[in-house]
Amino acid sequence: MTNSQMEKYSAGFGLSLIVTTLLNAVILLAKELNASIMSAMKSAMGHHWTTHGVILIIVFFVLGFIFSGMKLGTKIDSQKMTKYIIWAVIISGIITAGFFLPNLQVASAIKY
Amino acid sequence: MLNQGFMMSHVLFGILGILFAVALFVDVLNAEKNSGRIKKLSLAVAALMIVAFLVGGYWYVVYYGADRDIIKAGKWPWAHNYFMEVKEHVFFVMLLLSVYLPIAVHKIGALTDKKNRNLILAISALIILIGLFMEGAGGIISRGVTIGLGR
Repeated sequence: MTNSQMEKYSAGFGLSLIVTTLLNAVILLAKELNASIMSAMKSAMGHHWTTHGVILIIVFFVLGFIFSGMKLGTKIDSQKMTKYIIWAVIISGIITAGFFLPNLQVASAIKY
Repeated sequence: MLNQGFMMSHVLFGILGILFAVALFVDVLNAEKNSGRIKKLSLAVAALMIVAFLVGGYWYVVYYGADRDIIKAGKWPWAHNYFMEVKEHVFFVMLLLSVYLPIAVHKIGALTDKKNRNLILAISALIILIGLFMEGAGGIISRGVTIGLGR
């Protein structure tokens, strides 16, 4: 393995991390914008947040092992992985923080 | 009392996770000398964040409903409507980063390689930054309850 290649588990689970980080934002939008999805997630495990977390953890490990078996380390190096992870976290963070932004009424704090 | 115990444990494990991530970040900057400790710290960060997630998640599902109602009826409803909503979803990202951290540290190869080192530094930095946001948001949510109670 040369320095430009990644070991299969660090590459596989790294890509899985990127997918699940973005999936986190997708699930958030889906459940918040669709009452039936929210209701299904609540009824699945008693609380939508619990279902949300369990889905992400399962997807992370399942995709991690699948991607690890695909020898993706030959196609991606640590530098690209670093860049993709940072961008995935930024995109997911902006979607999450941006979606709830209308709820942030700073005016009420100023009045207080 | 159990309610408060769970909450304080959640904060404690979260802060320890952040501090261990800071220690790991510094050690990775001198990776030649610290490879053994970096591996142990990566496992500690993952373990602490998982425990913080489990304890905080249990508290959130079981106890938080009453606090949420107080916050929403008070003068800082956005403490829940914004900060708790963002916190509870961004936490998942920090958890996944924390679980990936030891996988990357143990499997990526030599941390003397700059690209490998930068990957671990980036993951640690993201955990630290998100963790600090968690702590700040937690403080605002806690203050939202206090203000909601009229204190």
